[in-house]
Amino acid sequence: MTTDQVNIPEKICDNCILPGTFPGIAFNDQGTCNYCQKEAVSSNKINPAEKKNQYRLRLDALIENTKGSAPVYDMIIAYSGGKDSSYTLKLLKERYNLRMVALTFDNHFVSSTAFENIKKVTDSLEIDSITFKPSWRSIKEMFALTAKKDIFSRQTLLRASSICTACICLVKSMVLKTALEMSIPLVGFGWSPGQAPIQSAILKTNPSFSLSTQNVLKNAFPPELIDELHQYFIPDDYFNSFKDSFPHNIHPLAFYDYDEDRIKKELNELGWLAPEDTDTNSSNCLINAYANNCHISRHGFHPYVWEIANMVRQGLISRDLGLIKIYSKQNKTMINYAKRRLTNGAT
Amino acid sequence: MEQPKNKIRSFIVENFLFGEENDLTDDTSFLNEGIIDSTGVLELIEFLEEEFEIEIDDDDMIPENLDSLNNLDKFLKKIIITS
Repeated sequence: MTTDQVNIPEKICDNCILPGTFPGIAFNDQGTCNYCQKEAVSSNKINPAEKKNQYRLRLDALIENTKGSAPVYDMIIAYSGGKDSSYTLKLLKERYNLRMVALTFDNHFVSSTAFENIKKVTDSLEIDSITFKPSWRSIKEMFALTAKKDIFSRQTLLRASSICTACICLVKSMVLKTALEMSIPLVGFGWSPGQAPIQSAILKTNPSFSLSTQNVLKNAFPPELIDELHQYFIPDDYFNSFKDSFPHNIHPLAFYDYDEDRIKKELNELGWLAPEDTDTNSSNCLINAYANNCHISRHGFHPYVWEIANMVRQGLISRDLGLIKIYSKQNKTMINYAKRRLTNGAT
Repeated sequence: MEQPKNKIRSFIVENFLFGEENDLTDDTSFLNEGIIDSTGVLELIEFLEEEFEIEIDDDDMIPENLDSLNNLDKFLKKIIITS
């Protein structure tokens, strides 16, 4: 695909790809958005390469102090089977030889290719694997609600759709809960370098802060839905009883070299294949196109545009590829597939 | 010289409220009011570290220190005195 085949809005930043419809955006006379201008000022203060190097050293030190100290596993990883989490698994296993377990949250919309990828990658890297599948009824109700309505804060919805945010919120809870119950000191995520800021790339989770953010998220759901979902959240008493063993969260792609082509090539060597039934921004999830479509209809901008614009700005993907990822039309067949399952209730 | 609290207020209004001050008071909870989410808190920390040339420990990243303008003001005073 080329950029001639996508629907680029009339007004977008000439440097990154944020559209004129993005909240709070303003352009200077050169057509550069205020987000790019802010990033340029910040990069002048701290060299991004130097900062990444500092984080690599911090991770080396953390792992040196942690590895082997836990009863069974050094690290649990939230593993979707997609490109970024597969590469995170490979990177951490090969670089540090950690005792790892991968936890896959099956949201009932995982591509069958992604499941095959999970098997191939974990077998090839000799990593234990757990799949957690919540009941269809709970998940269906959660997705049906968030497809219709935005229940999360405006700030959160700048970076992800309501459907995606709801799902990720359960993924994070399940991973942290499992880490606490199994005394695992490190939790890994495969966030792309555009998805989460580098300052969160190595961070000790704080019980008090985690409880506050969980309460805010739980309060966003209607009470009748929380009754369905409560078992996927962290029980309140865990925040006190496990207060001394909250793990470090790590998302290493924020500070290791990130090159999509090279990553895919390395993963192909493990048997990983890019699914053909997912949208341009996911390599595992079959509800994403519908989630994106709902978000675009309600907000006038793509829920991945913040992440992809960050990556274009950092020079990690080309602007043309960013335009294709964001401004390609969502696949109607995929939208209808998800919509039909949520409407008809078919498992 | 601009007071730290005013600098933080300007940062929050510009970055999280898109220039609209709305009902932001000194005691408004950023998390409960949906002004800042868990990722936004990290952007706020980056701003504080750069603007005030301080380092914030992971253990200090608690709502009691960071979740309102007044909490931040008190926390900053404490951290600047002790550093």
